Amino acid sequence: MWRLTRPFAIYFFLLLLLVPINTYAEEFKVEAGQSIQRAVDSSRNGDTILISPGLYKESVMINKEVSIKGEKGAIIDGGGRGNVIIVTASNIVIDGLTIQNSGSGQEDSGIHIKKADRNVIQNNILKNVQNGIYLANSNENKLLGNSITSNKSHFSKRGNGIHIFKGGGHFLKGNEIESVQDGIYFDFTSGIQVSENHVGESRYGMHFMFSDEILAERNHVEKNVTGFMVMDSAHIDFIQNKVTDHFHFRGYGILIYETKNVLVEGNEILRNSTGLSLEYGVNTSIKRNQIAANQVGLEFMGKNENNTFSENNFIGNVVQSKISGEDMRLDDGVKGNYWDDYSSFDLSGDGVGEEAYKAGSLYDRLLRKQPYWQFFFESPSIKLWTKAEALFPSFGAADVYDARPLVEPVTMFQETEQHSKDRLMPGLIGILFVVFSIFVIVKGRKL
Amino acid sequence: MVKKLGVLLMMSVGVVSSCSNSAMEPEEINPEIDVCDVCNMGLAHEHYATEIVTADGEIYKFDDIGCMNEFLEMETSLQEESTAKKYVRDVDTGEWIELEKAYNAYHPEFWTPMANGVVSFKDKESAENYIKEQGMGEVLDYKALKKHDWSWER
Repeated sequence: MWRLTRPFAIYFFLLLLLVPINTYAEEFKVEAGQSIQRAVDSSRNGDTILISPGLYKESVMINKEVSIKGEKGAIIDGGGRGNVIIVTASNIVIDGLTIQNSGSGQEDSGIHIKKADRNVIQNNILKNVQNGIYLANSNENKLLGNSITSNKSHFSKRGNGIHIFKGGGHFLKGNEIESVQDGIYFDFTSGIQVSENHVGESRYGMHFMFSDEILAERNHVEKNVTGFMVMDSAHIDFIQNKVTDHFHFRGYGILIYETKNVLVEGNEILRNSTGLSLEYGVNTSIKRNQIAANQVGLEFMGKNENNTFSENNFIGNVVQSKISGEDMRLDDGVKGNYWDDYSSFDLSGDGVGEEAYKAGSLYDRLLRKQPYWQFFFESPSIKLWTKAEALFPSFGAADVYDARPLVEPVTMFQETEQHSKDRLMPGLIGILFVVFSIFVIVKGRKL
Repeated sequence: MVKKLGVLLMMSVGVVSSCSNSAMEPEEINPEIDVCDVCNMGLAHEHYATEIVTADGEIYKFDDIGCMNEFLEMETSLQEESTAKKYVRDVDTGEWIELEKAYNAYHPEFWTPMANGVVSFKDKESAENYIKEQGMGEVLDYKALKKHDWSWER
């Protein structure tokens, strides 16, 4: 008997489950010419609002738990006044919209989220907005795959790509930010993960102020004034980011100022005015980074305490280090760093040079006091000076040295390992070429 | 030859002396290149910027009044009026005002680039208006500002 009725019982049970969902979650469709705000007003928690392609000239206030999904070509235009979308409800979704023309007040934004948690903002295009997405006093929001640009004016007149003010626990991934003031601005926030975002052509790629516990991994910041600006913060981890092409004359790859407990690991810091700068940095750990082709590789200013550097490659920086301030050791006691201008030998064969590498030169110290002396860079007199200093190391300013300098660069990335295999072919061709040359020479003589 | 050198010397003296700023006037902010002399941050929010102009014509720029205060604590010789003038800007108009003559609105929640919550105005009325608009804060004149406890805690 039960065998027969069981399927019916299950079916009935499933029906019971389905019925409430059907009545509670409805799907609205908004067509061009209609109002999105009206659809939001007449919807209930859990509803989905589909936006058809078209231009919607309005500002939208979302104050209940709805999902808003834009079809391709759905554009909301704020008309240059205030915020385009304001969110004050939690658990909402905004997906696939183009959002444009916010006002130009300091906090005017494409999407402004106030005291709202666990929202998902994804795959939207925000353009010609003062700030892109502004998160104030909110927690655990997800911003995924949005594309953000501000207006065409100078960066001092624009807002930030993503501004996070207080609150925390957010997750930001795969956002594409360009031409704003600061790409992502962390303002009194904590507990945030930022992965695989790209920021370019702005003032700062990411700006950390008074913030705590932030993990930034696999992001690419390029062609801004400064890549990562870290001030008065703590527990910031930078892992496997690319920080490239910051050539502004006062630009930096990474600038750490009055900040504690920073981890900088596995990053590529390439082609910046100054690669990495520490000023009043405490407890930072800087390891396995590629710091190459910068005008100044490493800069220390003021007092820096308890920092460890190990297994970094300093390669092809015009000035390897520029140092003023306190004495410091640049190795962790076992391993130091690879410096391509290190000129001593590894006699014991353990991969570590026998003599300490001394960073900074007297010229650096002079430059600090007389910046215009940069004019004499690479002039014979400065070269002579630097050479004399190398012979009499006691000349130098602060005593900053690497007691365990590596004689071979550290291999960091898989690609570099594969390169070494590819060298077999050119080698073979070279050998053949030499053999052929010898043959020609010998033959030629005989004739 | 000697004459030519003499002329050259005169010219260079001329160039050098024309650079010095004897009136101790503030200088326009260029957000593209100017950075705060304390914290290295670019001066993007021009109306919050402050300046110290010394009698020797040296100009120091800061992103807000808190950083200037920090600088003055380090460089005690610049605290006297005769050696350096301190300038702040009216946040509405960007007009330069001497620190002594400015009225400041203060509340820890007021936004400034380094978040110390002090915003300057050219007269008491504008400062009071700002406080009314924001619905919080107090007016600090120069005397009160000297006693102000600078902090970033909110």
